[in-house]
Amino acid sequence: MKTLLQLSAVTKSFGAVRALKGVSFDLHAGEVHALLGENGAGKSTLIKVITGAHQLDGGSIEINGERVARLTPASAHQLGIACIYQQPALFPDLTVAENIGLRLEPMSALRKVNWVTRRQRAKELLKRIGAEILPDAEVRSLSMPEQQLVEIACALGAGARIVIMDEPTASLTHKEQHLLFAVVKDLRASGVGVVYISHRLEEIFQLADRVTVLRDGQSVGTNKVSEINESGMIKLMVGREVSTIYPPSESETGNVVLSLKKLGCASCGVKNISLDVRAGEIVGMAGLVGAGRTELARVLFGIMPADSGEILLNGQLITISTPKEAVAHGIAYVPEDRRRHGVILEMPIAHNMTMAIHDRVFPGAWLRCGAEKQIALDLIRDLAVKAYGPEAPGGSLSGGNQQKVSLARWLATKPKLLILDEPTQGVDVGAKSEIHKIIRRLAKEGLAVLMISSDLPEVLGMSDRIAVMRGGTITAMLPAKTDAHEVMAVALGQTENGAAK
Amino acid sequence: MHTAKQGFRAILLRHETILLFVVLLEWLYFNSVGPRFGSVDNTFDIMRHSVEIGLLALVMTPIILTGGIDLSVGSLLGLCAISFGKFWRDAGMPIPLAAACTIGIGALAGGLNATLITWLRLPPLIVTLGTFSLFRGLAEAITRGADTFTNFPASFLFLGQERWLGIPAQASSFILVSIGIWLLVHRTTFGRSFRAIGFAPEGTRYAGISVERRLAMAYVLAGIIAAVAAIIYTSRLGQAKADAGMGYELFAITAVVLGGTSIFGGIGTVHGTLLGVAAIAVLNNGLVHARQSREVAGMLTGLLLILALTSSIIPKMLASLKTRRQTLATKPIIT
Amino acid sequence: MKKHFREFSVAAALAFVLLGLAIFAPAFFQPQPLLSLLTREAPTLLVACGMAFVIISRQIDISVGSQFAVCSVCVGLLAAKGWSLPLVFIASVSMGAIMGAFNGCLVAGLRLPSIVVTLATMVTWREALRWQRQGEFVNLPDGLQWLGLSQVMGQWTLILAALVLLALLALATKHLSAGRFVYAVGTDAEAARLAGIRPQLTTFSVFVFMGALVGLAAMMNVVQSPQVDPKSGSGLELKVIAAAVVGGVAVSGGRGKLWGVFFGLLLLACISPALTHLHIEAYWEKAIQGAIILLAVVADGLRTRKQRN
Repeated sequence: MKTLLQLSAVTKSFGAVRALKGVSFDLHAGEVHALLGENGAGKSTLIKVITGAHQLDGGSIEINGERVARLTPASAHQLGIACIYQQPALFPDLTVAENIGLRLEPMSALRKVNWVTRRQRAKELLKRIGAEILPDAEVRSLSMPEQQLVEIACALGAGARIVIMDEPTASLTHKEQHLLFAVVKDLRASGVGVVYISHRLEEIFQLADRVTVLRDGQSVGTNKVSEINESGMIKLMVGREVSTIYPPSESETGNVVLSLKKLGCASCGVKNISLDVRAGEIVGMAGLVGAGRTELARVLFGIMPADSGEILLNGQLITISTPKEAVAHGIAYVPEDRRRHGVILEMPIAHNMTMAIHDRVFPGAWLRCGAEKQIALDLIRDLAVKAYGPEAPGGSLSGGNQQKVSLARWLATKPKLLILDEPTQGVDVGAKSEIHKIIRRLAKEGLAVLMISSDLPEVLGMSDRIAVMRGGTITAMLPAKTDAHEVMAVALGQTENGAAK
Repeated sequence: MHTAKQGFRAILLRHETILLFVVLLEWLYFNSVGPRFGSVDNTFDIMRHSVEIGLLALVMTPIILTGGIDLSVGSLLGLCAISFGKFWRDAGMPIPLAAACTIGIGALAGGLNATLITWLRLPPLIVTLGTFSLFRGLAEAITRGADTFTNFPASFLFLGQERWLGIPAQASSFILVSIGIWLLVHRTTFGRSFRAIGFAPEGTRYAGISVERRLAMAYVLAGIIAAVAAIIYTSRLGQAKADAGMGYELFAITAVVLGGTSIFGGIGTVHGTLLGVAAIAVLNNGLVHARQSREVAGMLTGLLLILALTSSIIPKMLASLKTRRQTLATKPIIT
Repeated sequence: MKKHFREFSVAAALAFVLLGLAIFAPAFFQPQPLLSLLTREAPTLLVACGMAFVIISRQIDISVGSQFAVCSVCVGLLAAKGWSLPLVFIASVSMGAIMGAFNGCLVAGLRLPSIVVTLATMVTWREALRWQRQGEFVNLPDGLQWLGLSQVMGQWTLILAALVLLALLALATKHLSAGRFVYAVGTDAEAARLAGIRPQLTTFSVFVFMGALVGLAAMMNVVQSPQVDPKSGSGLELKVIAAAVVGGVAVSGGRGKLWGVFFGLLLLACISPALTHLHIEAYWEKAIQGAIILLAVVADGLRTRKQRN
């Protein structure tokens, strides 16, 4: 069998974070090779290396048996690599036919655009994948799955030899899924190699020939799908021992701090959330990307206000329509995207730490640099932030220390409820366990903590209770000593017998 | 790691010290060319002529710090000058009341900018381009393009033409506003928020700061100070015409950018802006003494802005090119 | 219909204004003044088309008025020196293209914000010109006015030339890959890069093209009078931006049609004579223009706000 793609010992780091620690991966012609792993295991980095969006630090890539030293998006395109991302990179203001045309037609500037053939080709490609999309529709008006189908049509039309699909079915309906499977099988039959990433295990059994599991930036095994069962796969994904490295739960739970009753927000896809979080308790939120966990956090923090249901804080009904109100109510949110939302990289960490407590530290809006410095120094010492001083700009810190700064900003507000969104994503191991200790200590001090994490061992190790989200709502509340297997199964939407819900 | 801190400080220091040096050089040069240039009278003249542009540059600083821009300040100055004349002459208001009403007009106009920018999230550029035309057009419509307000009482002209405590009277109000804006930008949480918005508007929102209110504040403040500048302008010239302050927005923006404020927001100081104003004012006045026409000053201001913009970006570009070259040199393209 | 809603609504507004004029001020429709009006707007139309490209690519150029003046004076001086019409024509277009390239270098090459760059070039060109000319008009040699034709013939030639060019440009935006690149870059520069388009090169070309169109427009304007006013083109940038925005070109880039811009320009062009005919003072023109720009962006803003929610 011809090998289309061969990655050997590929490494890639972002600053201090080693996203890929020597991954090897190969793809044959005419096979579907599934890539499996928890969020943050390095799948998306691996894809970006293959598509040329990231340059690798070490290791090698061979395509069609030839070693490629520097892969760029353009050269990857020429070598027949196409990728269907979760977030399609389409032009929203242009029509479907044009989107496909711009990808497939030659790039010369002074060329007549033949709209008839453009439309014809778009129609044919869309028909081939069975999508009922008008070539003249504006992409802006399409739903996410429809946009994905357009992406697939582009890849198909480009005659790609290597097609990467990043969770293509995440938002597809049942019918669209079947169409997609037919397309994938069709591609395989015509000798294309497909790298297929999905969290839905049943799809992998249905479609894939081989499966590679990634964990912590390493490949932990490549198996033939026929030779492995579902629980074997989950075991590979979850991997390491859990209980030992996490600080033990020793806090006593107090009153209910946050109580949500049938909370919903139509515009962000969160619906019917009922949940209690008590003082001193860490409630872990597990689920897949797109399950609605970050969206729930945004609703609670007033970034996307709720439109149905009730939020009770310490028993009192409150409404939260802006982050400012959330802060005033004593809700703190350490966001997922640290570099964009958590820390202002260009500003000194002292300024970052006091951003949410301007009213308290600076009465009359008057800056008191001495007081600020003292607060910052205290927080730096308290959380053991490694920086040369309070004046250090946020961007000069490592990921873990940036996360501590982001956390410090919210601890300074003395909140009642702390929402953590992926608190240890992209953080090195040392800082990770330090952050875990801090979180546990905060809970012990009586803070109610809601911790969203895609790192399953972290959820299992840290939480007093685990809420599992799927499809915008909480599908299960599990006790602390749950087995990783079970959480993953619920998050994946599997029931006992392994069938899809 | 301490070197990074010192390096950062050094860069900051460097920009403003260089600018100070430039201003001094300008001064020395024109002093050698024009015999009257260095006299006390002329120095005061420079001050008088730079107060209005200086005021606009001062309030432009917070706006540019937030990553925005206000093209309408010059037009607003014109509209306010006309309103002031109208309040005083046609509505028969006493000068203080007319001034207060004018400031109200300025605040309203700034409020219009602020509303469109924050409520509809429209780009400041196109909003203030629209109001740039609207305000000037209103000024022209009110005066029918020809009406000029003159014969202001001497007590009012004092503000723009006489000396108070040994310096031009308007300079004292300029100093007051400078101190006020400096404190606002460098010593209050508002200034802190302006920078934060300039660096990362979403990140600022996630810190529980009301970005809309801060932005609105910056634009309304610009409106108010433009009105103050209009009153001083009227007093200095002793007349108010619809073309008052034409093209001032350019001088203001140039002064701010020249003063080291990044056009992308976040970085910048008020004292830098003041030096920028000084550089432009000395250049303008000096060229007159060097027997150059006014147009040369305008042209040089434009070129100066281009120069300031490019010089702020070129080191960055060179650095990124260098690293790219290095990676290209170490790795062959495709084997 | 729904897709072209914005353009049709502008056309409807224009029809409404024309109807109002027909009822209240039928004098507006006298052939000779109307012809003069259209001739005056012919050069502006070309600049407005260029501006539409610039805004579609998510940039702005407020230096067009100054470019226009510089090109006009160049045309006058060269013609006075005895250059032949085609040579003058080429000189004017290349002069515009060079000034456009200067903007393009700074915006695309150094990635500076176009608003500040063109603000600076606007003033630089304008003041340089004033300094050079000191407000002096340039007398044109005989035979240049109306391209050596009779006045009516000359007027028709200019109007037709502008319309033909508009049609060609409208076709090019739809049927030439370069035209589509402009839309693609304005919609999403990053997606364009991934698709293999070079966004910086596209931006640069748009500015050069804008300059060339300004040069052409200046040429078309100069031949309408026996002298060249060095102040010609002042306020042109606002007029064409207003035309583009009113005609449905989105300030956020990526959207807009040239025929919408055409109607937008006609609508604005009717304001001034309509004011006169309706006995409203012409001094309101600038204010109304500003208000129209604001109205257009507010309407678009409200629409996107609705979409967001």
